[in-house]
Amino acid sequence: MRGPPPRHPDDQREQLPAVEGVIADAAELEPGNRVVYPNQGVCEVVGVEEKDIAGQKLQLVRMRREEDGAAVLVPKNKVPSIGLRRVATGEQIDGVFHFLAAQFEDPELDWKVRHRDNADRLIAGGVLGVAEVVKGLHSLSRIRPLPAKEREQYDNARHLLVHEVAVSLGVPPGLAEDYIDYALMPPAGVEFDLKPPPKPVLLPSRPKRRRPAAAEEESVEDLGLADLGLGDLDLGEVLEGVPEVADAAEGESAEGGDTAHAEGTEDGEEAVTEPGEEGAEEEPATAPAARKPRKAAVAAPRMEKREAKPAAAKEPSKKVEKAAKKPAARKVPLKKAEKPPKPVKKTAAKPAAKRGGKKK
Amino acid sequence: MIRVVTIEKIDPADMAFLTATLYRAFGLGTEHAGDRPLPRDAEMDDGRLDAVKFLAEVAPVRTFADDKVLYITSAPLALPPGPLGEPPCWGFAQYGGERAVISTSRLPERGVTEASIETWRRRLAREAIHAIGHLWDLHHCYDAKCAMHPSWSPSLPANPEMDLDAFCRDKSERRIRLAKT
Repeated sequence: MRGPPPRHPDDQREQLPAVEGVIADAAELEPGNRVVYPNQGVCEVVGVEEKDIAGQKLQLVRMRREEDGAAVLVPKNKVPSIGLRRVATGEQIDGVFHFLAAQFEDPELDWKVRHRDNADRLIAGGVLGVAEVVKGLHSLSRIRPLPAKEREQYDNARHLLVHEVAVSLGVPPGLAEDYIDYALMPPAGVEFDLKPPPKPVLLPSRPKRRRPAAAEEESVEDLGLADLGLGDLDLGEVLEGVPEVADAAEGESAEGGDTAHAEGTEDGEEAVTEPGEEGAEEEPATAPAARKPRKAAVAAPRMEKREAKPAAAKEPSKKVEKAAKKPAARKVPLKKAEKPPKPVKKTAAKPAAKRGGKKK
Repeated sequence: MIRVVTIEKIDPADMAFLTATLYRAFGLGTEHAGDRPLPRDAEMDDGRLDAVKFLAEVAPVRTFADDKVLYITSAPLALPPGPLGEPPCWGFAQYGGERAVISTSRLPERGVTEASIETWRRRLAREAIHAIGHLWDLHHCYDAKCAMHPSWSPSLPANPEMDLDAFCRDKSERRIRLAKT
C-alpha cells in the first residue's frame, strides 16, 4: 500500500506495508460490499458508473455512507491509493479491544508531531490506527484537557471506531461504544485477561527539516526585525556600515584616549557576548556555529554606531564630550577594584532578556 | 421534543424536576408521555431486562420527526456481553435514533430525607441527559464532570454533575439546530 501523500512536493511517497484488508484493485469491489473509507466511515458499494466530467469520461465507484446515506464517488483508478479497506475482521477487532484495555503508554507530548501522526493513523492505519488515536488522545486527556482541535479529532476517531466495531460485531453503535469504553475505562475492580496487543501501526518517517544554505545565511541575519515592526529597515546598509562604524569607534577611542577605548570595548561586550567573555568580541564573525555571537556582532556595532555618529560627522558636540566624560568618571572605581565590571553584567543581561521576551 | 415514558409510576415532583432539567440541558420541550407496560420478551432468566430487546419490543409512543423518547424503568438492565465481557448497564440508547431507556436500579436509594431525594433526582437527571445525549449523536466524553462520561467510570465522582461540558453542549446544539424540524 502506498503511504499518505508526501509532506513536501519534492518528497517521494513513502511505501508502507499494507494494512490488512486494504483494497488494492477496484475490481475487487462488488455491489453490496461493505468497505471502510478512511476518515469517512463504513460505506456500502453501490456500483460502478461512468460519468462525463470536464470532457473526460471517468469510471467512478459509487458508495453510500451507511451512517447518513451520503453518496461517495471515487474514480476507479484512485481506489488503490485512498486506503479503502474491508471492514475489520473479528480477529482484528479482538486485537483492538486488547489494545484498548492494555496499559497506556506515555502519550506524545509534542502536539505538532502528535497531530500529524494521528492524522496519518486515521488515513492509513486501519482499525488499529483509529484505536491508537482514540487511546492516545484519551490517555493524554487524563493528563490535561485536550485543545479544541484535538478534542474534535478525538471525537471523530471515536466516531469512526464505534461505527466500524458496530458493523464488524453486528451490534448497534450505542452498544459498540459501551464495549469500547468498558475496555478503555474499566469499572473499579475489573481486570481483564489480556493477550499481547497487536503491533502498532507503522507511520511514515518524519520529514527532515529543510534548510537550504541560502536560507541559513538569511536566518543568521534574521534579527527578528519584523517582530519589532522594523521589517522595512534596510539591513544591508547597517551591515555595510559596520567597518566604518568600527573605524569611527576606533577613531573616537584614539581621541578619547585609553579610557574611551576601554569604554568602547566594554560596550561592545555588553551587547555582544555573555558577560565575562572578553575575547568574544575580537572574533565574532569567524565563530562558525555560534548564532548568538553573530547576531550580537551585528548588534554591537549598531550600539556603537549611536555613540560613533558624532565622531563620524566630525562635529564633536558637548553631548559627546559629556558621554565621553561620564564613563571615564565611572571607570575610576572600576579600575581601582580591578574586577570585571559588575554593572556591565547587569546591563548586558537586560537587553537580551527584553529581546527574548518580545520574541516570545 | 423529548417525551418521557415511565414503566412504573414515578413521583410527580421527581418527574417535574427531570423534565425541567432536560429542558435546560437541551433547550427542547419535555413532557411526560404516560406509562407503558413492561415488554415481557425483554426479560431475561436472571430477572434483568435485555436493554437492546427492550427498546425493540416496548410499546411505541406517538412521535413526530426528531422527537426523542426516554423510557424509565426500575428493573435492572443488561447488555449482551462484548469481547471483554459484559459492561455494566445504567441505560441504553439507539445512537442517533429515537429511543433510549434508563434504569433506576443502580441509582442510590431515594430515601426519605430531602438531601437523599435531591441526590437521587440529580443522578436520575444525569442518566437521562446521558441517554438523550446519545440520541443526539453525542459520544462518551472523557471529562468526568460531563454527563456524557460513562456512568461506571471509576473517575466519576460520588455526586456527579448533571451538565454537559462545553464540547458536548456545542455539539448537541449543532445537531439540534440541523435537525429536520
